[in-house]
Amino acid sequence: MADIAPVTPAEKGRLRSVLAMLWADKPAFVAAIFLCVVLVCALIGPALLDAVATKQNLRGRNAPPFDLSKGWLLILGGDALGRPLLARIIVAAQNTIAIAAGAVVASMIVGSALGLVAGYSRGRWAQIIPRLADVIMSFPSLLLAVIVLYMLEPSAANIILVLAITRIPVYLRTTRAEVLEVRERMFVQAARVMGASDARIVFRHILPVVLPTLLTIATLDFAFVMLAESSLSFLGIGIQAPEVTWGLMVAQGRPYLTSAWWLSFWPGLAIILTTLSLNLLSNWLRVALDPQQRWRLEMGGRKNG
Amino acid sequence: MRKKSALMGGIAALALAAPAFAEGEITIALNEELEVVEPCMASQSNIGRVILQNISETLTELDPTNGQLKPRLAESWSEVDADTWSFKLRPGVTFSDGTTLDGADIKHSMERAVSEALTCEIGAKFFGGMKITVDVKDDTTVEITSDPAQPILPLLMSTLTIVPAETPMEFVRSPVGTGPYVLAEWNAGQNIILTARDGYWGDAPQVTKATYVFRSDDAVRAAMVGAGEADIVPLINQNDATDAATDFSYPNSETTYLRVDNTIAPLNDIRIRKAMNLAIDRDAFLGTLIPADAIKAVAMVVPSTLGSNPDLTPWPFDPDQARALVAEAKADGVPVDTEVEMVCRIGNFPNVVEVCEALQQMFADVGLNVKLNMMEVAEWIQVYSKPFAEDRGPRMVMAMHDNNRGDPVFSMFFKYACEGLQSGLCDADLDKMIAEATAATGDARAEAWKPVFKRAHEDLVADVFLFHMVGFSRVSEKLDFVPTIATNSELQLSQIKFK
Amino acid sequence: MRKFLTRRAVASAVSLLVLIVMVFFLSRLTGDPTQLYLPVDASLEARENFRNLHGLNDPLIVQFGRYVGDLLTLDFGDSIRKSRPALDVVIEAFKWTLTLALITMVLVSFAAIVFGALAAFNVGGVFDRIATFFSLIGASAPDFWIAIVAIVLFSVNLGWLPTSGTGTLWHWILPIAVLFIRPFGLILQVVRGSMITALSSPYVKTARAKGVRPRPVIFVHALRNGMLPVITVIGDQAAGMLNGAVVVESIFGFPGVGKLMIDSILQRDFAVVLAAIMVTAFAIFLMNILIDIAYAVLDPRIRY
Repeated sequence: MADIAPVTPAEKGRLRSVLAMLWADKPAFVAAIFLCVVLVCALIGPALLDAVATKQNLRGRNAPPFDLSKGWLLILGGDALGRPLLARIIVAAQNTIAIAAGAVVASMIVGSALGLVAGYSRGRWAQIIPRLADVIMSFPSLLLAVIVLYMLEPSAANIILVLAITRIPVYLRTTRAEVLEVRERMFVQAARVMGASDARIVFRHILPVVLPTLLTIATLDFAFVMLAESSLSFLGIGIQAPEVTWGLMVAQGRPYLTSAWWLSFWPGLAIILTTLSLNLLSNWLRVALDPQQRWRLEMGGRKNG
Repeated sequence: MRKKSALMGGIAALALAAPAFAEGEITIALNEELEVVEPCMASQSNIGRVILQNISETLTELDPTNGQLKPRLAESWSEVDADTWSFKLRPGVTFSDGTTLDGADIKHSMERAVSEALTCEIGAKFFGGMKITVDVKDDTTVEITSDPAQPILPLLMSTLTIVPAETPMEFVRSPVGTGPYVLAEWNAGQNIILTARDGYWGDAPQVTKATYVFRSDDAVRAAMVGAGEADIVPLINQNDATDAATDFSYPNSETTYLRVDNTIAPLNDIRIRKAMNLAIDRDAFLGTLIPADAIKAVAMVVPSTLGSNPDLTPWPFDPDQARALVAEAKADGVPVDTEVEMVCRIGNFPNVVEVCEALQQMFADVGLNVKLNMMEVAEWIQVYSKPFAEDRGPRMVMAMHDNNRGDPVFSMFFKYACEGLQSGLCDADLDKMIAEATAATGDARAEAWKPVFKRAHEDLVADVFLFHMVGFSRVSEKLDFVPTIATNSELQLSQIKFK
Repeated sequence: MRKFLTRRAVASAVSLLVLIVMVFFLSRLTGDPTQLYLPVDASLEARENFRNLHGLNDPLIVQFGRYVGDLLTLDFGDSIRKSRPALDVVIEAFKWTLTLALITMVLVSFAAIVFGALAAFNVGGVFDRIATFFSLIGASAPDFWIAIVAIVLFSVNLGWLPTSGTGTLWHWILPIAVLFIRPFGLILQVVRGSMITALSSPYVKTARAKGVRPRPVIFVHALRNGMLPVITVIGDQAAGMLNGAVVVESIFGFPGVGKLMIDSILQRDFAVVLAAIMVTAFAIFLMNILIDIAYAVLDPRIRY
């Protein structure tokens, strides 16, 4: 939104009404702010704090949190090598968000596109694509990870590839299930009778109905993907030190769960808060985009404004 | 919510009360399930902890307190000539199937261990590269010949588990042995139960029934003693070893080191290898990432091993000298800026990732360009063991070597000889010294090994030694049992007493 | 119906075949198991002997032909690690996982549908906020946290439940409870979303305006319409549990197929990997057929 340079009065008005609707839903508003902070961390964190985040201090390892005497960076405590957790979480935001967003967006686009075809078409593809989903669902993600990462480098791009492939079936199957029902609805039949093209029916009439469910799944998938990446790291197949992601930090803190809880708690909390924010925002979005429900926000906005 | 609590109540009513532990019964929590319960695989630590000396016994036994051999199924042994040893079997020993131990059993056990049809670990690990023949003289005497001659043949016999001559040439699921216990139950995935048997030749043990359960999660395993669900946990994570009353550390005969590929620049320059050794602040690791009881290593084998060289000292932490050495090498045209790959294995030992990250930082501090590469075991073993890739770059591999047999022969050839499968160097003098020491007997043997350690550590600076490690066990306070160096490979139930 | 079932059975059999071929060839790309099985000091001859013994030296296509030939006689090969028939090993483990997944999914589906529908009935209300908040936290928290904290709390400190293992019914409570949390959050969110859409659709509004009573009628009607994506997600979660309740299985020492599969993949015990995938795939395919039938039952307009 920020990069729209010349703001015309109409756009200004729309922007303001969007903000007003966001303001009307206080949790969503807070969530939006939190996500902005995460994005900023992801963009400039590594450039700003990389040196601090990798500075080791073996004799000051596992420093407990909330102790300001060693500087504000150690407010969340230090990790097993004495590195400040706060700085590491900020630096790790970049890799984490890139991997999670990459995997979720890729699997959502590919999965829902295949699902639209599988649900809408009544031909051969309607038979083949769901079986493809069956095969992917039955192919253990860990085996896929071992295969891809044994032959290629365990880089961020390859992790995205692995995670995206394993998450395709859920979008594919959900989309197909909804399309199967929606295509029988009156307005779709009407559009077809009036001679609308298949593409138009799919994108203008069916997709908008399916999208809210996909968004709900996608926001929770963010958490799933971050944690899946964490367990891959734990098993030795995912992102490895000295690279860092929230998932890897959670995995590395695991042996200390009973002795130094903060090692895995803070990165885990970052994952939870990000997921929570995305979900609150997507819930808000689905209301704001739905003409039949928008009144909730507009009324609320007026009341508060 | 009400429904749920009703359901819980239902389950509670149905559930059986946890069985109370009877006198003489203990539970042991291992870190992974046994894949097989086969005597010829007992050199694998988890299988060994169940089988070794509990179900299957050996001719001789290594005493962990003094490193000496003591009799077990053999009452005595003597050297016939350089190749051949004669073993006198203990009379009146019976297997749990009722048959009596005789020479034919020894012969069969040996043949089985090295059989190509089974690929037993004991055969591959201890009897590779030699031909052993067992000659049955009479019911209680066997002569064992080896080619080439093995001065430590009686020691090798402490690894060979004895099975009856009737045992088939395939893996068994109900092992028969001469030990004080028999396998009573094996519920795959759940537990293994051993019970004491009548007719054992030795003293009747206090423990009458031992149940082994398998928990791969460190925190859970450690918690089981406090919850009263386990009495001994042979392996807990050092981070969980916080209770002095129940947690014991013991030297586990493992040595961590960086195997350095001495053939590729810049690692082929001794100054760089010295600089790497000087760059490491080993004391900073002790009590932090590595347990405080670990010992800084100067050799591939623990100090209690025969022929350990007390004159060797660990490299000091001297980053300035290290930087000077790197600068000197650079001035001579050594490509010190080349990226050196440091390969570590995930899950090798507790905190391995942190240790490797810290090492990388220490190397970087003295101007060495080291890149850390964490690998999963299957990938790691390809770079650790020969054949090495032809197009490899300069590389160090972090490894942990276990030699609990008390003699360096089980380490030095593999790790240092030109033909050694994990050797990163080829030095003609070292090869000759290893061959001499391997063939030496009696007191000369210890003396022959000492210069081998010196050559590797001081003259060639072949690799980067880190620590002789310790493991941690948790033992219930109701038991009288202290883990030793042997706990890494066996857990003799007969040594466990109740307080 | 019969035509549909026949067609699906054939299609699933073909998919299974594709899966076997893919897994067989792709898994062999992950390296030779020899060095993982033999001690690190084993001689090159010993390694060669091992490869010959297990047929690892033959060309892949020959190995595959042999595997398929054995498969036709219902021989799934032997686990090299356990030196037992791979299928026995897998079936043993699968029984545990199937029971665990079945109980958990029944509980989850029931709870998530009820709570999700209630949350949707008063969007933005207190109940909705609380249900959303906690279900989201549960769905995005690392599962080993919940497992370890639950063990420390209920087993070590309170002493109410066993830490881990199997044996009594008590042993099932913690694993099921931990396994419950993530799918509960996800399914609840999907139910809530579907219900909001369904409840604001014109026909429900009309029904409400007309004063159709009692409310449960509307409720059930809306639920039925929003059910398709919900069933799909339930199926997806169940499939995930069938081949991947790894964390719960390994923490609680549950001898399930998820942990078996991971161990076998990491140890390159190919026969077990293949057998495990075939068994779980069979279950997943079967479940997906049932789900497709459920679509048609719930919405008579859907025909295949």
